[in-house]
Amino acid sequence: MSARLISAFIRRDFLAESSYRLSFALGALATLANLAVFYYIGRLFGGTLAPELAPFGTDYFTYVFASLAFFGYIGTGAGSYAGRLRQEQTQGTLEAALSTPLRTLPFLAAMSAWNFLFATFELLVYALAGAFLFGLKFPAANWPVALLVFALSAACFAALGIISSCFVMLFKRGNPLAWVLNNFEGLLGGVYFPVAVLPGWLLAISNLLPVTYAVRAFQLALNRGAGLAEIKGDLLALAAFNLVLVPASVWLFELSVRRARKTGTLGEY
Amino acid sequence: MKLEVRGLVKVFPAPFFSGGAPLRVLDGLDLEAGAGVTGLGGANGSGKTTLFRTLAGVIEADGGAILLDGKPASSGRLRELAAYCPPNPRSFYFRLSALENLRFFGALAGLPAAQALERAGRLADRLNLSRADLERRFDRLSEGNMQKVSLIRTFSRRAPLLLLDEPFRGLDGLACTGLLGLIAEAGRSAVALLTSHSRELMTAAAQRALRMDRGLVLPGRPQ
Repeated sequence: MSARLISAFIRRDFLAESSYRLSFALGALATLANLAVFYYIGRLFGGTLAPELAPFGTDYFTYVFASLAFFGYIGTGAGSYAGRLRQEQTQGTLEAALSTPLRTLPFLAAMSAWNFLFATFELLVYALAGAFLFGLKFPAANWPVALLVFALSAACFAALGIISSCFVMLFKRGNPLAWVLNNFEGLLGGVYFPVAVLPGWLLAISNLLPVTYAVRAFQLALNRGAGLAEIKGDLLALAAFNLVLVPASVWLFELSVRRARKTGTLGEY
Repeated sequence: MKLEVRGLVKVFPAPFFSGGAPLRVLDGLDLEAGAGVTGLGGANGSGKTTLFRTLAGVIEADGGAILLDGKPASSGRLRELAAYCPPNPRSFYFRLSALENLRFFGALAGLPAAQALERAGRLADRLNLSRADLERRFDRLSEGNMQKVSLIRTFSRRAPLLLLDEPFRGLDGLACTGLLGLIAEAGRSAVALLTSHSRELMTAAAQRALRMDRGLVLPGRPQ
């Protein structure tokens, strides 16, 4: 049932997205333009190692390229649930979808399946562009550990995304969690620069965010070939976030759907 | 299957800080229906749609009980057993074809794609919806054809509890005849409830008719 459901959602979203051809093409162009900006910033600073980048053993362009590719993927979970739900509300299809015997877990798994699939495609584009266009190499990479960080981070961000979608379910517009995720994760999480450059008080806040651990662990595994022991602290932090956030997100989502059914606002937008 | 509704209450709360009062739409409603077609008439705002949405498990009641074959049915159980055709036929993905929509909603109801498509084709014939319209993008269908797609989505579930809210709205004569046939067939085994503001169609479709007023089912036929 779940596999059939997920494939039904993917098919639906593919058909809908591909019907907006210009938007698809512009999205792809924007990705390349983004890469170009960071490439020229990298060229400006040359291959010199900033002291904050020394622990990662890499130059700025390699750092930001890997971070963007990584964050682009895990950020999919953070943003797509609320976006999809809002889209269903405004289209008037949410109530129709939730009038069926659909259960919460398969619904959550299927709802953003297309977004993750597309993000995987984008990740591949990034990887190919990195290897063949920009000549990036990661000779020291510890791929199994990088994959583990990837999986833990994706689950954690999906959980945050699901919690964020609860605001959409209940309040329709006005989503404080999405606001934090959109505006502060990049600044405080080390995506564009290592968090070591932040002042102490901002560093303290950044240590409360899962993205900080995710990006650091990923960069270390990718650029320095760090093993499990070396990034144990970051992995444990991510596991702890998952332990709390994943069950909490499903529970909160069920609660918010129940509340919307009770108040009769499932079909409102 | 037998449907029993006992003292059903539904109150929509006023939005926060709106200064408005809660809206009591179902006011201790009682209803019993077995296999067959029951028509439900009543003025606008009498609570018919809210009753249907509650029976479909789309919204949850604030009081009372819904029993199926004598056992209390949760909203989850109702969503498994009921197929609801809403009064507004626009709850579809506009960028997808009618057929793709039916395939998708079929999957949500647990139907394999082949079965959903096969049922869609057969029901479309009964409702006078052409193959070309089935394959047309949903937003390019006429209002009446959208209603046919909405009816196909409902009937293709073959649910034991069928809730048809204004099913004749916007339909041409041939489709009305086809729909009357489908309702009669479904009513042989399912509990079918329908609303309509057309006395003729209600009489043609339903073996018995009831009247709703201010959140209650009253004795007697619709006026």
